[in-house]
Amino acid sequence: MKTRASKTVVIVGGGLTAGLIARQLTAKGVDVLVLERGGDHSKGPESSLPNQRDELRWSVRQGLIQDWSRETYTLRHQQNQTALPVRWMESFLPGQGLGGAGNHWNGHLWRWAEYDPQLRSHYQQRYGKQAIPADMPLQDWGVTYAQLEPYHDLFEKLFGVSGQAGNIGGKKLPGGNPFEAPRSGAYPQAPLHVLESGQVFKQACDHLGYHPFPQAAANSSGAYTNPDGQQLGQCQYCGHCERFICEANAKGSPQVLLYPMLRARKSFEVRLNTQVLGLRYDAAGKRATAVHCLDLMTGEEYEQPAEVIVLAAFTMSNTQLLLHSKIGKPYDPVSNTGVVGKNFCYQVNAGVDLFFKDKWFNPFLASGSTQIVIDDFNNDNFDHTGLGFLGGATIQAYQFSGRPIKGRRVPDGTPRWGTAWKQANADWYAHSMSLGIEGSCYPHRGNYLSLDPTYRDAYGRPLIRMTFDFRANEQKMAAFVSGKMMEIARHCGADKVGSLQALVTPFDSRLYQTTHIVGGTIMGETPHDSVVSPHLQHWDAHNLFVVGASVYPHNSGYNPTGPLAALALRLGDDLLRYLQRPGRL
Amino acid sequence: MTHPVDFPPPDSAGSARRVFLKQLAAASGSLPLGKALAGGTATALLLQSAEAGAAPSGKPVINTVYGYESFGPDEAAFVEAMLNIMCPADHFTPNGVDCGLAIYIDRQLAGSFGQGARRYAAGPFLQGAAQCGPQLPLTPEQYFKAGIAEADRAAQRLYGQLFDALTPQQGDAFLQQLAAGQVAGEQLDLAEWFNALVYPLFAEACFADPLYGGNVGMVFWKMIGYPGLPATHALDVVQYLGKPYPGAAHPKSIADFS
Repeated sequence: MKTRASKTVVIVGGGLTAGLIARQLTAKGVDVLVLERGGDHSKGPESSLPNQRDELRWSVRQGLIQDWSRETYTLRHQQNQTALPVRWMESFLPGQGLGGAGNHWNGHLWRWAEYDPQLRSHYQQRYGKQAIPADMPLQDWGVTYAQLEPYHDLFEKLFGVSGQAGNIGGKKLPGGNPFEAPRSGAYPQAPLHVLESGQVFKQACDHLGYHPFPQAAANSSGAYTNPDGQQLGQCQYCGHCERFICEANAKGSPQVLLYPMLRARKSFEVRLNTQVLGLRYDAAGKRATAVHCLDLMTGEEYEQPAEVIVLAAFTMSNTQLLLHSKIGKPYDPVSNTGVVGKNFCYQVNAGVDLFFKDKWFNPFLASGSTQIVIDDFNNDNFDHTGLGFLGGATIQAYQFSGRPIKGRRVPDGTPRWGTAWKQANADWYAHSMSLGIEGSCYPHRGNYLSLDPTYRDAYGRPLIRMTFDFRANEQKMAAFVSGKMMEIARHCGADKVGSLQALVTPFDSRLYQTTHIVGGTIMGETPHDSVVSPHLQHWDAHNLFVVGASVYPHNSGYNPTGPLAALALRLGDDLLRYLQRPGRL
Repeated sequence: MTHPVDFPPPDSAGSARRVFLKQLAAASGSLPLGKALAGGTATALLLQSAEAGAAPSGKPVINTVYGYESFGPDEAAFVEAMLNIMCPADHFTPNGVDCGLAIYIDRQLAGSFGQGARRYAAGPFLQGAAQCGPQLPLTPEQYFKAGIAEADRAAQRLYGQLFDALTPQQGDAFLQQLAAGQVAGEQLDLAEWFNALVYPLFAEACFADPLYGGNVGMVFWKMIGYPGLPATHALDVVQYLGKPYPGAAHPKSIADFS
């Protein structure tokens, strides 16, 4: 196998975090190589009219999503079961191609709660040492919100985020989220328009004494130029955002705001259609020495040496690369030892549909983030004394699209075909809306990732095996917050309120729920309980770093992009220090 | 399988009806393959039908694409009968075949979807939790056809006739039973087949862009008031807040911009 000329920094995966790290490094002239398994979507039918507006091609047939024939995952709910391969995944959607899942995201942006990075300490301080069950390995991250705040601020400016601040420097602001962590300044752009569905929800929440606010979004409410001189157009509310690439350049995305700029920088190189198969590891020297690559266009395999290697692939791939390359000790739930694959978490969802004869919601007039939200029952924003669970969820009236194959609502009891079915679709398509919850998922000792003993990917590597189910804590939390959602639903003035679409258990790969999966390569304060340090440095290889949602030790009731972007920008700065003096950060 | 799925069992009760359907197609002047050849590519053909859809006329626009790529005549008879039950001609739309629903499903099964593109197909094939998704060593096209054969055998058991020979009322009742898991297949789980494969294809056929052959004349988009592809809505979202959106009456398809 050939060995190519060494690079200073090699980043595995060409998504959001890679672009942010490369921004920090190449600004100082550091030589960076990004390896991306997919191609460049920026000039193709997926990002141009009219073909961009193709629900079948991009959404239903998953045109921008990982090729499941090459790489998929196996699933079992309990450790004593045999896992089976998910042959066509619906529940979560990793991206493929330059920009990664940052191409087809909806743009929701959250800073997590101020206490999220100290969640274990927080719960123990508030509810006592016994508050956290023994089988829930919550842990502090070893970094504080205050340390990340400047990077949150930078990211929001780079991505032109539209939103209403609720807490600037501790001062609560009307119309924003009163539970928001303190910000150093306002959002760079005004919030998105409030839709009819948002108004209905806001009125009900105001009546019930809750605190509704518009979702902060990387959907650009106006024309915007970021601090790097990169531009966003104004959001056109076209209803083709999540699962699509924005053809109007109005969604903050790496292939709009980062990669065109980076590719013009001399010290930056990206190799597309390059599948990373594993890492070369010098266990004695505690260094990762090279990346094992496959050029998908020529079939050539080669080794790419580097001074620093960063894993910035999707959550599952980061874990797979460490396990397959035998770096770090795999987690074993029986002996409760090892760390790689630990604290794999998903997210909790439930919903309800509302029907109004006389209101026009026009569901197709929407952006990826047009929703009004309350944070009142999320995480530990409310008192959990006596509730028997930890965590919580946002409750929102979301309206992201009216795409007709998947985006129609009909009342309970509607026939599934025939004239009555058509009648119900005609009657309610423009006259219905939905509420949803998006909730935390805390780690459980029995939920983890490991290598499957039977099934292999197209490159001959073991598939990642998910051992996962929603456990009692998440089921109780979902029931509680779903009850609050149904209470709001009954106060919206609807002619018909649908039945609760409850959290689906056991976990089902056939239903889209959310792409927010976390954990597997978690961060923490000691090598005993984490894969990477608070600086995202691998405990067993000081020149190896891991970034992305795979480092989160738990999942919060928020979309994961904010903190992972802040951590990536901070990692870029940390790597500048590391390169000056290689060693433990 | 008892019979190869591409061929009907000998002396099947529905064969007379199938001959009739073929004769009807010939008599109506719709010359199955000739137009497809004249039109060149399938895309060109579909664009022609989109143009036809734009022609000013008081009559409803119906499917003008003929000649199946995947279905044999027996399978076509089953699918056409099923789609005309699921989508009867009424004040909303023409019948399912005239809406292009059969052509849509045929083209999907003949194309990359039907051939299992991007779907993990390695063995071993084991049975386990339904939440892992189907564990079948069949492509979607093979699965669809195997299900037709199974469903036809079930119809013969229950009604003494192939599915396409049932009255619309019998056929509807049969499909309701099938979807509810009340019709046992000999080898296949027919409820899973209908609910996880057939029904999603039906919904796509109705609501996907007409470019793919279904939703002829955007009839389903007009039915619900989906405007299709206007490029910009930044002003509409303010102007039509809480009000009917006039563009919903005149949807635009990808073909209109191609």
